[in-house]
Amino acid sequence: METLGIFRDVESAGRAVEGLIREGFTEAQIDSLTSVPYPDGVLVRTERRTWFRWLALAGGLFGACAGFALAAGTAWLYPVQTGDKPIIALYPTAIICFEVAMLFAIIGAIAGMFLEMGLPALRKRPYDPAIAEGCIGICLTIHAGGEPVACRPGDTPGQCIGEIASLSAKEQKERAEKIMREAGVLRVIGEESP
Amino acid sequence: MYESHSLQASHNSHETNGTYENYGTNVKTATELNDELLSSLAPPSRRWYLLVFLLGAVVAWGLAAFTWQVTHGMYVTGKNRPVMWALYITGFVFWVGLSHSGTMVSAILRLSQANWRRPILRAAEAMTVFSITVAGLFPLIHLGRNWIFYYLIPYPNQRGLWPNFRSALLWDVTAITSYIIGSSLFLYLGMLPDLALVRDRSQGWRRTLYTILAMGWRGTAREWVIYQKASTLMAALIIPVAVSVHSIVAWDFAVTVVPGWHSTIFPPYFVIGAILSGVAAVITLMIIIRKAFRLEEYLTPLHFDNMGKLLLVISLLWAYAYFVEVQTTWYAHEPIEWEVFSFMSGRYTPQLLIMLLGNALLPITAMCFKRLRRSIGMMLVVSLLVNVAMFIERFLIIVPSLSHKNMPFVWGSYHPSLVEVSVNLGALAGFALLYTLFAKLFPIVAISDVRELEERQAEVRLGRARLSSIAGKD
Repeated sequence: METLGIFRDVESAGRAVEGLIREGFTEAQIDSLTSVPYPDGVLVRTERRTWFRWLALAGGLFGACAGFALAAGTAWLYPVQTGDKPIIALYPTAIICFEVAMLFAIIGAIAGMFLEMGLPALRKRPYDPAIAEGCIGICLTIHAGGEPVACRPGDTPGQCIGEIASLSAKEQKERAEKIMREAGVLRVIGEESP
Repeated sequence: MYESHSLQASHNSHETNGTYENYGTNVKTATELNDELLSSLAPPSRRWYLLVFLLGAVVAWGLAAFTWQVTHGMYVTGKNRPVMWALYITGFVFWVGLSHSGTMVSAILRLSQANWRRPILRAAEAMTVFSITVAGLFPLIHLGRNWIFYYLIPYPNQRGLWPNFRSALLWDVTAITSYIIGSSLFLYLGMLPDLALVRDRSQGWRRTLYTILAMGWRGTAREWVIYQKASTLMAALIIPVAVSVHSIVAWDFAVTVVPGWHSTIFPPYFVIGAILSGVAAVITLMIIIRKAFRLEEYLTPLHFDNMGKLLLVISLLWAYAYFVEVQTTWYAHEPIEWEVFSFMSGRYTPQLLIMLLGNALLPITAMCFKRLRRSIGMMLVVSLLVNVAMFIERFLIIVPSLSHKNMPFVWGSYHPSLVEVSVNLGALAGFALLYTLFAKLFPIVAISDVRELEERQAEVRLGRARLSSIAGKD
């Protein structure tokens, strides 16, 4: 279940995020929705590592093989003997391999990007068109409640799910909305659990 | 239908607690920026319809000329033995060259994080897609028996026909296909956040279109991280493709033993020429877009100044490459090479002079002066002349060399026919028509990029100092 708070500016959105973390929600549960990118940490901290580049690499390798099959494979399957020239011409084959490799690397990069983003979205998620007009959305993912999870000694707020996880989802949502209201939320948009 | 907004809740003006303000930087609110930059999507005026009608009429004329050629045969063109490649291949090389710079300039400026790039990215990337699309048509038009165009690609050859899979022309097919798809994806990637933005402001069929294209983009922190990394990766991937495409076109000439073509400098010379014409075309389009959509605040003299500097550097490089090629031929004085050059400079003197003036003398002299680089009128003249000169350059590469090949008894001449001129004009109008339609359907300025810059320009007060609110890099 997700709850989205719409804020007028970065400051109030930032205050809401700090409040949510103090309450016991983790950084991983909080996401920001913005129409321009903000540096990491201005609103939320998010995972910087990505894996989609490996898909671009895989695409490139596949493309190189496909290019080789296209140029050399076809020439080999249907040989055209011209004088004593080789059936498979290395120079055109190399060029075609390169072009097809780059094509599939590009396709792999785009496909990987969308896969990693989780787009296209298969379910309707909370959103507000005001985000396109400069408002900031703070989206909180609320897990099913009733799980008492204790933080370990030494954990800092935001790294572990505090006692808030032991509350029901409804109670968690109410607390989150209260914090957002205190921070100056314009409106809260909720998504019910399926 | 697209509609302009003044959303009460929205803003970006940072008027909050006095610690985060705009001190005379004239930073606009997000809604103001959206309204201004999306004004191009407003319902079309009568002038727009008139323009589309005129361009459509020229395209129809070009199509009629092509149909005439298909039904009557290649004799309706001016091509003859030995000039088998003529105005169509000139058009092909020219449009491939033009396509070069859009994506390449955009990619290089993205990688170098040049902030001034932001308002010009979309115009440049769209130019690439449409010009490479037009370029891809020319080899098909040139074929003669256009209905068996699929001989260009390898396909099962059980019938023992004659497609030659080792033909150099197979390079062109794969290179152009890769570049069309790659540059289209590059354009689409750059548009993704903007598509979500126009989705949120549209109604009716436009909303459906933008919703599909935006793929459910919400602008989460994670989406932005992945998007920025993907943009950088795509920029890095598309540059070698762009360079390879024009190198491959150059190899079509250079690997032959035709005098004037068989030269190792051809690939870099073609690439430099392509970037020169592409940069000039981007400048021309910037001027037209600026005027048509009243984007004077976003496409400022600073942008033309920087593009002028780029034009100056590329023009110097082109002049150097041309000088190297000519002086080597002149000094070696190899008879057939010198014969081709003498024929070209004698028979086509006016064209040669226009080429040198447009590609080197005028840009190099004019672009040295800041005042001229910031003059929109001067930039329009220079950029248009560069492309006229570049078309002539492509013509002078192709026709004189074929006219005066190694054997004097097959020397000939070439005059373009009305059919060829009509098809070329139709292609030019087709490019302009595609661009006009695109500009009405999609944001022609990269809004999220411009807004990100505005956001970064907001200032924070720290003691007595005023600092940028967000540093240049994460």
